[in-house]
Amino acid sequence: MQRLYVGGLSHTVTQKDLKDRFGKFGEVKDVELRTRRDDEGVPYKTFSYININISDADLKKCMTVLNKSKWKGGTLQIETAKESFLHRLTAERQEAAEQRLQQPAAEDKRQKMLNSLSKAGVENFTMKAAVPGTEIPGHKDWVVSKFGRVLPVLQLRCQKGSRARTLKYDPSKYSHNIRKLDRSTTEDEPTPISQLTWELEGGDDDISKKRRGEFPPFEPSRPKKSRTDVLNSHNTMGKSRSKQTVESVDQTEAGQFTNGYEQPASHRLTQRRGAVFDNDIDSDEEIRRMVAAQSTSHAALRQEVDDDNLEVVGLDYLVKSGRSRPQQKGPDDEEENDYDSADTDELLASRKPPPLPPQERLTLSTAEQPSRNGTDKKRKTKKKSKTGEEEDDSADDEDHLTSRKPSSTQHTEDSSKQSKSKKMAAPPVLKPPVQESSSDSDDGDDEDEEEDEEEEEESVDSSSDSDYEAMFSNVTRLEISLADLQRLAEVSQQTTDPSTPGASSEQDTPRRPAKKGTTPEEILASLMDEDSSEDEPKKKKKKKRKAAVSAPLPAFRGMGALNEGSEGEEEEDEQGSKVKKQKLESEAPQLNQRAKHMETEKKTSESSEDEEEEEEEEEEDRVATKVLKVVPTKAAVNTKKAETSSSSSSGDEEEEEEEEEEESSKVTHTVLTAKVAASSSSSSSAEEDEDELISDRVAVKAAPPPAPDSESSTSSSQEEKEKQAPPRAPLGAKEEEERQRKANMRRLAAVQQRQKEAEEHKKLIQGALAKLDAPTAGAGKHIVFGSDDDDDEDDQDKQQTTSEVTASKKALFEDSQSEDETTVKDNDTVKEKLMELQSRFGRDERFRMDSRFLEEDEDKDEESEKKRSVTEEDESLEDERKKNLSILQSVLGSSQQTCSSKAAAKGKTFRDVSALHYDPSREEHAAFETKTDKTKESKSARRKKREEAQKLPEVSKEIYYDVSGDLKAVFGRTKEDNAEEEQKANWDQDEEEEEETKDEQPTLLSSLLSADPSAEKEESSGFKFSFFGDDTETENKETEEYKVESIQAPKVSWQQDPRFHDSSSEEDEEEQEENEEQSNAVAMTTQGSQVLLSFLSPGGAEGAVGGEEERAQTGVPQETQGCQEEAEVLPEELRIMGCLRVSVWTDSAS
Amino acid sequence: MRPLTDEETKTMFEKLSKYIGENIKLLVDRPDGTYCFRLQNDRVYYMSEKILKLATNISRDKLVSVGTCFGKFTKTGKFRLHITALDFLAPYAKFKVWVKPGAEQSFLYGNHVLKSGLGRITENTMQYQGVVVYSMADVPLGFGVAAKTTQECRRVDPMSIVVFHQADVGEFIRNEDTLT
Repeated sequence: MQRLYVGGLSHTVTQKDLKDRFGKFGEVKDVELRTRRDDEGVPYKTFSYININISDADLKKCMTVLNKSKWKGGTLQIETAKESFLHRLTAERQEAAEQRLQQPAAEDKRQKMLNSLSKAGVENFTMKAAVPGTEIPGHKDWVVSKFGRVLPVLQLRCQKGSRARTLKYDPSKYSHNIRKLDRSTTEDEPTPISQLTWELEGGDDDISKKRRGEFPPFEPSRPKKSRTDVLNSHNTMGKSRSKQTVESVDQTEAGQFTNGYEQPASHRLTQRRGAVFDNDIDSDEEIRRMVAAQSTSHAALRQEVDDDNLEVVGLDYLVKSGRSRPQQKGPDDEEENDYDSADTDELLASRKPPPLPPQERLTLSTAEQPSRNGTDKKRKTKKKSKTGEEEDDSADDEDHLTSRKPSSTQHTEDSSKQSKSKKMAAPPVLKPPVQESSSDSDDGDDEDEEEDEEEEEESVDSSSDSDYEAMFSNVTRLEISLADLQRLAEVSQQTTDPSTPGASSEQDTPRRPAKKGTTPEEILASLMDEDSSEDEPKKKKKKKRKAAVSAPLPAFRGMGALNEGSEGEEEEDEQGSKVKKQKLESEAPQLNQRAKHMETEKKTSESSEDEEEEEEEEEEDRVATKVLKVVPTKAAVNTKKAETSSSSSSGDEEEEEEEEEEESSKVTHTVLTAKVAASSSSSSSAEEDEDELISDRVAVKAAPPPAPDSESSTSSSQEEKEKQAPPRAPLGAKEEEERQRKANMRRLAAVQQRQKEAEEHKKLIQGALAKLDAPTAGAGKHIVFGSDDDDDEDDQDKQQTTSEVTASKKALFEDSQSEDETTVKDNDTVKEKLMELQSRFGRDERFRMDSRFLEEDEDKDEESEKKRSVTEEDESLEDERKKNLSILQSVLGSSQQTCSSKAAAKGKTFRDVSALHYDPSREEHAAFETKTDKTKESKSARRKKREEAQKLPEVSKEIYYDVSGDLKAVFGRTKEDNAEEEQKANWDQDEEEEEETKDEQPTLLSSLLSADPSAEKEESSGFKFSFFGDDTETENKETEEYKVESIQAPKVSWQQDPRFHDSSSEEDEEEQEENEEQSNAVAMTTQGSQVLLSFLSPGGAEGAVGGEEERAQTGVPQETQGCQEEAEVLPEELRIMGCLRVSVWTDSAS
Repeated sequence: MRPLTDEETKTMFEKLSKYIGENIKLLVDRPDGTYCFRLQNDRVYYMSEKILKLATNISRDKLVSVGTCFGKFTKTGKFRLHITALDFLAPYAKFKVWVKPGAEQSFLYGNHVLKSGLGRITENTMQYQGVVVYSMADVPLGFGVAAKTTQECRRVDPMSIVVFHQADVGEFIRNEDTLT
């Protein structure tokens, strides 16, 4: 029995074929044919196993014959194979069964073993109450293991490496779990061999079919053309392919297929076209499909683009420093806010500027708040006054009073409130000027406006924008009043110094007279005052902060003093107009007070004045200590007086002087007078109050309040004064006026007296000063002013100022003289002033001097050092740098000229931004300054530009005339003769107009024309167009008499007429424009109208003759005159509508 | 400490010119003093003449750092910029990339800038162009290399890298010990 393997069979071989083939060599029992197929079911290998009864000789023979023989297209390969496993299995089973039959001995052996174990006390392989590890007696290899189990000791044989060794496994030590195998299960009959093999049951499903080797007929798998695939292909193609020439036809096709899809960007359009038409696709279907795909893709793209807020910036994008971030807010504002909370405050501030952030509000000075309140009130009241000025005065007053009451109660403590009430009290004086101003010249208005603006700008810091606007709204009225005031003051002080400090001081004038407004207008005025004086508290604060009182403030007050002095005169002027009775009444109390004051002054005369002065000095001492912190000696006080407000601290007696010395602008003096009066008349309590007030008054604006105090004498509070004001008003105005007049007269007399005395004093002081060494005398009023300048200016300027100081000393002391002060005192004062000045200047000047000297020294040292040492090193460094630059040049490849360090310094400079500070002394930093001058200067230029721009339309008009000319040529030629005749009547009117307008400026024109016809403007020289060719020119020459007719040649288009352009002034040009427009029309019909013109306007040549006269002379019929009015309207129309109308009109006329 | 050789200078300038272009001139040729590059421990320091003189008092082995470190030469002779040079590069940078606030931290931790974190970019930025990375608040954060052109940046998906990270100010903390 042999089992043969036969390989290399053809697929078509059957079992029968094999049986027949191998049957020759032996008995074929079984043929097992197998075919291997690939996954598609194609057989690629067929072989078979054959069980055959064959002898060895036959086998050999069979092998030699059949092996490697060709049979049915295949080469047979025959080998002996192993026996089939099923056969072997059956054989083994048979053998095992035979062995079992032969093994009864083994059974017995086992039984014996069990028996012997049981004898040893082992029951079912367990021995109870035995210590693990004890051997079973009689059984050498059996031990008791855990849980009393009896187990055999195993000898395991393990082979490690080359040599094997036995290993003893003691179950007593290891075995915890043992599984007992049941013997009976193992002894079951094995499954019959025939059942060991089986076949897969197959259904009709694909898998079972494939398992069985049955495959469905082959169909090539179609790649699915999804849209994305198409897209990808398009994109890749569009990108990869170089752009081919796009056919226009294709483009149009694409346009059709876009289905109205809007391209977001142009570049996308091109891209799409490229994508579409780079492909070699011709059929419409395909194109359509692609376009649709494309559109969707683009939509997606666009959406994506929209989604991401990617920002692309240019190369010149300016990076702001991190500090300035809050201002620079991109689209991610909120994001930034979210992630950076540090700057929220800044953000808040920047976002809502009008309402001040709470912190700021807190930081605002308490003095500013009341002022704001005041503005609010002002607004309210302003509204009221606007709505109805006829409203009851009393009602308004009540409002005012009620509103002010709470604040005024605490006035002694609250200086700001006092100032406010001061402002409230200010109005009455303002009022008259307001009324007068309507007729007044606005000379000073501009200045005033500027002043106001400046002041208000200062106050803007504290007040919101709305406030600012509100304030500004009032400005105009205020200006006017101020201008009037100034004018009045000047009028009154004709005898004294006419050069008043200027509008700057005018601002304070309204505040001076402390009065309560009774009429709505007065209230308004007071409100305006509030506006202007809003910044007062600030100033005060500033002053307190700075030891040195700034000069500009006193300057402001000077005018106030001036006005005060002139108030009486003002009133005198006002007396003339009885309309202002009310105001006079309201002013009366103050005037009375002042008059009284004057009287008292006069009475007391110099002796009493001395006393007063002492009082003053006491007060001033306080002031000095509080404000200036200078040693409060009398001398110091004096110096202080001189310096702070630059007002001579003379006191009441010096009013006259002050009036004279308006330049010095001392308001403080008035304050002082008020104080004096108050202190003298009022009780000690009042004095105390005033002491408190003094600190506030240092700024000088407190003048008004004390004055009323002095009158009332019982109380110094403003409110009370206000209350008292109305009752006082009813007093006989005229009586009071007279009294005032008298008082003024007296005062003037006293003034003159004092002037004389003052001159004497001056002389004395000058003599004393002459003995003093010049350098020490660094004090002077001018210095005070100059000092401020010095702060800003350079050292050189300082030196100049110092020299100025010495020079101006005299003038200074002239100003500061006081009647009562003796020369000795003056000397003291001089010294004190010097000290003061030095102490004040010392800081800056010394510092500067030191710094300057130091700088110089350093520079010198450095220079010398550098000269010595730097030469070599620097040279090396310089070489290195040059080398670097050359290398850089090579690297960059660009031909940049290697600039030396100096050249580089001039050119692009390295700016360390962090170290950049504005330094006014450096010229480069002028770039950071905002220059206001330029704008002013450029106004004229701007105007010119504007006018030039306005001129431009002319050109277009003339261009148009070309068209009209053509039209006329087209339409009008045929009936030219008739048209011209008809036109005559119409064009007459125009010509007459012309003549009229001409006559307005004939003198100019004629003179200019005759003078220099050669002067042509270049601008109009370029283009010449003559509709009628040379006719016009010839006409002009022919009709030289009619210079007016020269209008026929319009400015630009037709030809240059020098006569028109001679007029240099622009107004003339404008007039010319009008003329030109008219003349344009005329020029069209010159031929027709020439005759008419010639006899119409003989006088035009002379120029100065009026149109009416002309008409009379020429005898133009009435009809034309009547028509002329129409014609007058027409030119306007022409101007408005432009040339079109002209042409139409002419056509219609023709 | 020695001046750079020509080769080194060239290498360094080539690297710097990727970020600030011809503005290197402004670093070399400064009107406010003489400034120079010096090599010490393979590191390039940018210092003023004054500091240079002062530094001569210190022996080379003891000198840790002087002036501003611009970067170092690698063993292979390439120049690698350090974050310390940012202060000098940022003002002159030609191409800038602004990073959204959300992506700032990621960048400062040393990660590349993704498209999703790109807030703004200078136009016409070429691929592999050196860029300075700013926060949206215009605070320079570091520098890197543009992985894509500006045009590509518009199109790419949000998770693709737009700027390769090179150095960021986070290194001041992360590499505190090695940063000189």
